[in-house]
Amino acid sequence: QDRTISGRVTDRANGQGLPGATVLVKGTTVGASTNADGGFSLSVPSSATTLSISSIGYTTVDQTIGSENTYNVSLGADVKQLGEVVVTALGQERTRNSLPFAATQIEGDQITAARNPNPINGLSGKVAGVQIRQSNTLGGSTNILIRGTKSITGNNQPLFVVDGVPISNANTNTATQQTGGGGYDYGNAAADINPDDIATMTILKGAAATALYGERASNGVILITTKKGRQGLGVTINAGVTGGRIDKSTFITYQKEYGAGYGPTFGKRDFNGDGVLDLYNQLNADASVGPRFDPNLQVYQWSALVPGSAHFGSPTPWVAAENDPSTFFQTAMTLNNSITVDGANDRGSFKIGYNSVRDKGILPNSQVNKNVVNFAGSYNLTSRLTASASVNFSVVDGKGRYGTGYSGATSENLMTNFRQWWQTNVDIKEQKQAYDYQNLNASWNLTSPTNSAAKYWNNPYFSRYKSFETDSRYRTFGNVALTYKVTDWFNVLGRVTLDSNDDLQEERYAYGSVGVPSYGRYNRTYREANFDLIGNFKAKITENVSFTGLLGANLRRQATKSIRATTNGGLVIPELYTLSNSLSTLTPPTESDVRQAVDGVFAGATFGFRDMVFLDLTARRDKSSTLARANNAFFYPSAAGSFVFSEMLKETAPWLSYGKVRVNYAEVGAGATAYSIADSYDKPTAFGSVALFSVPSTKNNPDLKPERTKSAEAGIEAAFLNTRLGFEATVYQSNTVDQIIPINVSTASGYGFRYVNAGDVRNRGVELSGFVVPVKNDNVTWTINANWTKNQNRVMSLFEGSDNIVLTTYQGGVSSNATVGQPFGTIRGTNYVFLNGQKVVQEDGYYAQTATANEVIANPNPDWTGGVSNTVSYKGVSLYFLVDVRKGGQVFSLDRSYGLDTGLTPETAGLNDLGNPSRNPVADGGGVIFPGVQADGTPNTVRADNSGEADGATAYGTTHNPAAAFVYDASFVKLREVSLSYSLPKAFVSKVGAVKGVDISIVGRNLWIIHKNLPYADPEDAPSSGQFGQGYSTGSYPAVRTLGANLRLSF
Amino acid sequence: CVGSLEDNFNVDPKSPTTALASGFIANAERTLARTVVSTNVNLNPLRFYVQYWAATDYPTESRYDLNTRSIPGAFWNALYRDCLRDLREAKATIPNDLSVPAASKANATAVAEVLEIYTWATLVETFGNVPYSEALNFTNARPAYDDQAKVYADLIARLDVAIGQFNPAANTGLLTGTASADLLNNNSTALWIKFANALKLRMALTLADVDNAKAKTMAEATVGKLPASNADVIDLAFNGTFPNTNPLYEDLVRSGRTDFVGTSFFINQLKGTTGPVTGTVDPRLNDYFDPATNPTPATNLYNGGTYGGANSPETNSQPGAKLRAQTLPGVLISYAQVEFLLAEAAARGYAVGGTPESHYNAAVTASILEWGGTAAEATAYLAQPGVAYATAGGAGATYKQKIGYQEWVALYNQPVDAWREWRRLDYPVLTAPTTAISGIPVRFLYPVVEQNINGANYSQAAAAIGGDKVETKLFWDKF
Repeated sequence: QDRTISGRVTDRANGQGLPGATVLVKGTTVGASTNADGGFSLSVPSSATTLSISSIGYTTVDQTIGSENTYNVSLGADVKQLGEVVVTALGQERTRNSLPFAATQIEGDQITAARNPNPINGLSGKVAGVQIRQSNTLGGSTNILIRGTKSITGNNQPLFVVDGVPISNANTNTATQQTGGGGYDYGNAAADINPDDIATMTILKGAAATALYGERASNGVILITTKKGRQGLGVTINAGVTGGRIDKSTFITYQKEYGAGYGPTFGKRDFNGDGVLDLYNQLNADASVGPRFDPNLQVYQWSALVPGSAHFGSPTPWVAAENDPSTFFQTAMTLNNSITVDGANDRGSFKIGYNSVRDKGILPNSQVNKNVVNFAGSYNLTSRLTASASVNFSVVDGKGRYGTGYSGATSENLMTNFRQWWQTNVDIKEQKQAYDYQNLNASWNLTSPTNSAAKYWNNPYFSRYKSFETDSRYRTFGNVALTYKVTDWFNVLGRVTLDSNDDLQEERYAYGSVGVPSYGRYNRTYREANFDLIGNFKAKITENVSFTGLLGANLRRQATKSIRATTNGGLVIPELYTLSNSLSTLTPPTESDVRQAVDGVFAGATFGFRDMVFLDLTARRDKSSTLARANNAFFYPSAAGSFVFSEMLKETAPWLSYGKVRVNYAEVGAGATAYSIADSYDKPTAFGSVALFSVPSTKNNPDLKPERTKSAEAGIEAAFLNTRLGFEATVYQSNTVDQIIPINVSTASGYGFRYVNAGDVRNRGVELSGFVVPVKNDNVTWTINANWTKNQNRVMSLFEGSDNIVLTTYQGGVSSNATVGQPFGTIRGTNYVFLNGQKVVQEDGYYAQTATANEVIANPNPDWTGGVSNTVSYKGVSLYFLVDVRKGGQVFSLDRSYGLDTGLTPETAGLNDLGNPSRNPVADGGGVIFPGVQADGTPNTVRADNSGEADGATAYGTTHNPAAAFVYDASFVKLREVSLSYSLPKAFVSKVGAVKGVDISIVGRNLWIIHKNLPYADPEDAPSSGQFGQGYSTGSYPAVRTLGANLRLSF
Repeated sequence: CVGSLEDNFNVDPKSPTTALASGFIANAERTLARTVVSTNVNLNPLRFYVQYWAATDYPTESRYDLNTRSIPGAFWNALYRDCLRDLREAKATIPNDLSVPAASKANATAVAEVLEIYTWATLVETFGNVPYSEALNFTNARPAYDDQAKVYADLIARLDVAIGQFNPAANTGLLTGTASADLLNNNSTALWIKFANALKLRMALTLADVDNAKAKTMAEATVGKLPASNADVIDLAFNGTFPNTNPLYEDLVRSGRTDFVGTSFFINQLKGTTGPVTGTVDPRLNDYFDPATNPTPATNLYNGGTYGGANSPETNSQPGAKLRAQTLPGVLISYAQVEFLLAEAAARGYAVGGTPESHYNAAVTASILEWGGTAAEATAYLAQPGVAYATAGGAGATYKQKIGYQEWVALYNQPVDAWREWRRLDYPVLTAPTTAISGIPVRFLYPVVEQNINGANYSQAAAAIGGDKVETKLFWDKF
């Protein structure tokens, strides 16, 4: 007996009805097509068990037929299908075949495959042309680079747009932090998005794809479309937990032969009053170039002198510590839970979501919590007028984020301590015991035997528990929009968007620490409002020629206000963290008030001929408040075309599922940094009552013109054999010219920097991506996705014939530079001296070094990056893993430069070629022969002293080697993501009340670094996001292997 | 739209667009005093170079490594960008600055000029050829370097003009509200004239080995116009509140570090266990240094470390309590220094009044008093045969040797002056440590950043002075 089943098929991406979809009773020919609104109704035999719903460009869905008669089904876009709908600039939805530029759309579930709480990190290795660099700190920043570094000193991060709202991805770290000095990594703001709310992410790479977004589009755009309410009422719950341990291959390994000291001597003093001098180690030394371990020697160490230690008052054997700092790390733990409720009917739709992430790091007393609530709804007020609004409210709370970079003695970064300045005889567990005793700074690094104040380093537990930072960011972003459908071919959208951030960062440096205790706070508010008015046209000009167009205006207003204040001279009352607790008169806070405005008008048109040939034209004119009136308006065009050649070969080449070539050219203009056209003065802290004034280090320039990125791109896309195999290839070149740069000038000019229009940075590259489905049958599907990117960056010219700009200088005598003819960001420092390709060794056995520190010694840019993912599904079980590869690029390691000098790692000890301890004096058969030649070209035979007797340093570190000695290849191959998931059979699930689906998954991230060349560290880790700090590794945090489980329930 | 907003949007509401001339001068005075008195390892390693101090754990800078910490760049930036640029701005501001009374405008300008010349002289005496005629012009990102001798000559000419420009009847007019904004000389034109003349005397003797006639004329012209007692010391009184504390306090106390101890070379001579004054303890010893915290043996309170090596901060003497005080003044020219210069001028036969011995005695006495000693101590010290001018240094000792040693001891807290006077007089005889990466520097290397952004001019300058090496002697350093 037949019965009638009806329902509606919708597009998962936007919740709209999907016309023309096929609804088929599985195993029969009984079926129907959906109507204009996606609705269907068909009569099915009683034997029917399953409906198969399909539509071109979407993944086919099988729907079990139960007792109900109504089924609402939403279809997700099938990424393999080139006819899919892609969201492009300004939210325009276009079929993939009509796109004349490279745009990669990633489904939300691909981003959350490994349950990464940071949706941006979830992109790594998945998109050609996009280089993601994650930091290993808790909640740390992520550097995203699309098609290379373009701007020499400006921002190179892409623009983020969520449902039409441009959102801030600001990095609020201090300039010192960003250039590898000390400070905390507060992460960047795009991570505030709830990953489970993401329907799709579209990465628009070239200027032709982004030009409509205006001046901020030159670095690419990441468009995020959030999920929309689906027909009926749905509830989805995700509950997950992951744990993480450090990857020991990314942490230092210590030598176990020599203990504390700058040179192999003990101090002598009568501690116990027996009239005999006792041995004590070099308590103040933060190095391990000390005496050789000897369990028979009883030595007064820090533990003998610090109350609370188990050995207080007594000497202990001179041996390597049982617990080295690798045991300092604890298990990281993340709870990631979310719930989404959504629904829709004919008049409208809504969605409400909540995501909570509680992230506990590998360092004691570290936690970052994220809570996000979001709501979106739309309502059809009339058949022509639709109102919609969305709001996303998030709170990120951090406590005890990790210190980063190098800041010397008072560093909050314990990694500089563990990797660069450590005593191998110090047992970290004993440090904990000593701290726990009275919660005081029971440091291992004492000033002297009679002064137990910490000398250079604090007790690491004291540091973590007493000198912690806290921070919060309250954020609201969202939009309110009205769409009026004037006619079938013309509608108008009016929209207001807002992104509002309130940041508070509080940093504490506890009383009792090395140096001056302090409390500092930084308050920052950021507001961005956009007012958009956009008219959309859609028409068929003739039977064969289609036209869509848009005309719009955008007003953007941004305001950033901040204030930073720090106590002066210390704290009166310990642990009272308020500015009024400052010991000396408070230095006036630093205030900043930056406003920017841009007014833009734009137009775009797409002409299509027989769904085969497409032509895109766009134009935009911006007027920016950051430039002087004479130069503040700038116009830039784009043109793009594509040809779907498979349309012509339909008959002759049935194996060709799809084929397209595309080519485009675009320009994007950009204004200046705010306040770079008019001069003002600095007003330093007054000297008593005497006001001080100073000319700033940067000279502004009223004649600045807009800078411009010119970009051309060509590509081919094809799929074969019913889309079992496909690829996409793109070549591109962009030149960013007339850059607005504060160039370095000789300070003899009275300034350090001067704003000019100068320079040309070229990026050219190839992006390849492909997929193959080797197995596809009723039970098993195996899909391989791969992508590969090669970007070649080159500084073509700089200012007035100058051939170098120093971007920043780093600790360790190296600098980051833009040099004409070189890739961006080359590291300069001292190099070896070479003779016929051999390193020259001096008469003392150490390597000769260049006299100057401006030799190019490293290029931080990778040769290529790529990723390969495999997904194998068998019935309800799916196994997925992603391998992420970076080939080439170099990194200078300050950790090695100092860590080798201070004798921490095994290569600084051990035996030499004679079989003697290399740290013995050369006269006693010690020392090392460095490979190379002597000045006369003969092979080196001189043993260099490695004892540290003369200078407290080994032969391997910064004292005796050029900076080039600490440059390493930064390649890596990482098993980035793994997930094994199991969907309970529908048949089983349907018995459990309202539950529609149950998915259980086990996920892993960063489980295995398959290959790397940087010893003891993760070559990916860098202090911060942005173009500084690239290719520089200091106080690097170990990688964290994360393993966990997730349960997803849908109702 | 933007058009209506652009004027507001373009101006930073948190930065002043108008300023007081006195503020630029005060800022330059502060920077200058901080730079010359600092012991920060990133800025001023000169207490190492003249071997007053040795390092404890990190001896790299005492082995003459200048580039790892970009020391020349920091020194250069402080003087060019932070002093000279502000002084230029002061000069440009003075004519229209209502806070500078009309009667004082000439004096205020002369003040800026004297400070500028002091700064330029320090640059030339440190680097050799430096950008001068093309410097301080923002449109020229890569200024050419000028010949050091020509720059020096021009500075001397400018100094004479500045001295003539002072109007003793008016004050310098540098005020914040009604209070003096002159951090160096408290608005006293008389003291500024003395400062200018002392600078002239200093520059005269710097030239003496290469242009005796000019030096003589210049030195003789300063007679009667010089600082005449310790009340006339040209110094900047730091206050007790960071960031306006003495930079020594910042690096010796505030940092919580113990990076420096006295050298055995210096301390043993102060103790009288070796050197020209053997047998006499210098009355300044316990001011210059603290007793060791863990003396070994217990009686060895004052002990110096090995220069160029790593040293224990416990068994060696660290810099004394006076140097640790937040409010220790930063000295640009001391009265003792003036008397040493006069002693030398007299010894060279210049008509500066007095004898080498009388000035020498005045200098040593002023130094002892400056460091808190008594006149009786000074007299007793001067009575020692190793000190007394007639017998100091033993038979056949030259005036350079006699004055050189005592001036070196006296300029303990004026490391820039001490380094220059040592290079000029070549006494005491210093030896580079075996661990050194070069000979004792007699100039700074040019900043690495100049090589990177002003390469062609840099290369030309390096060739012109005889190579960008620390051992390259500057034009006035003949011996």
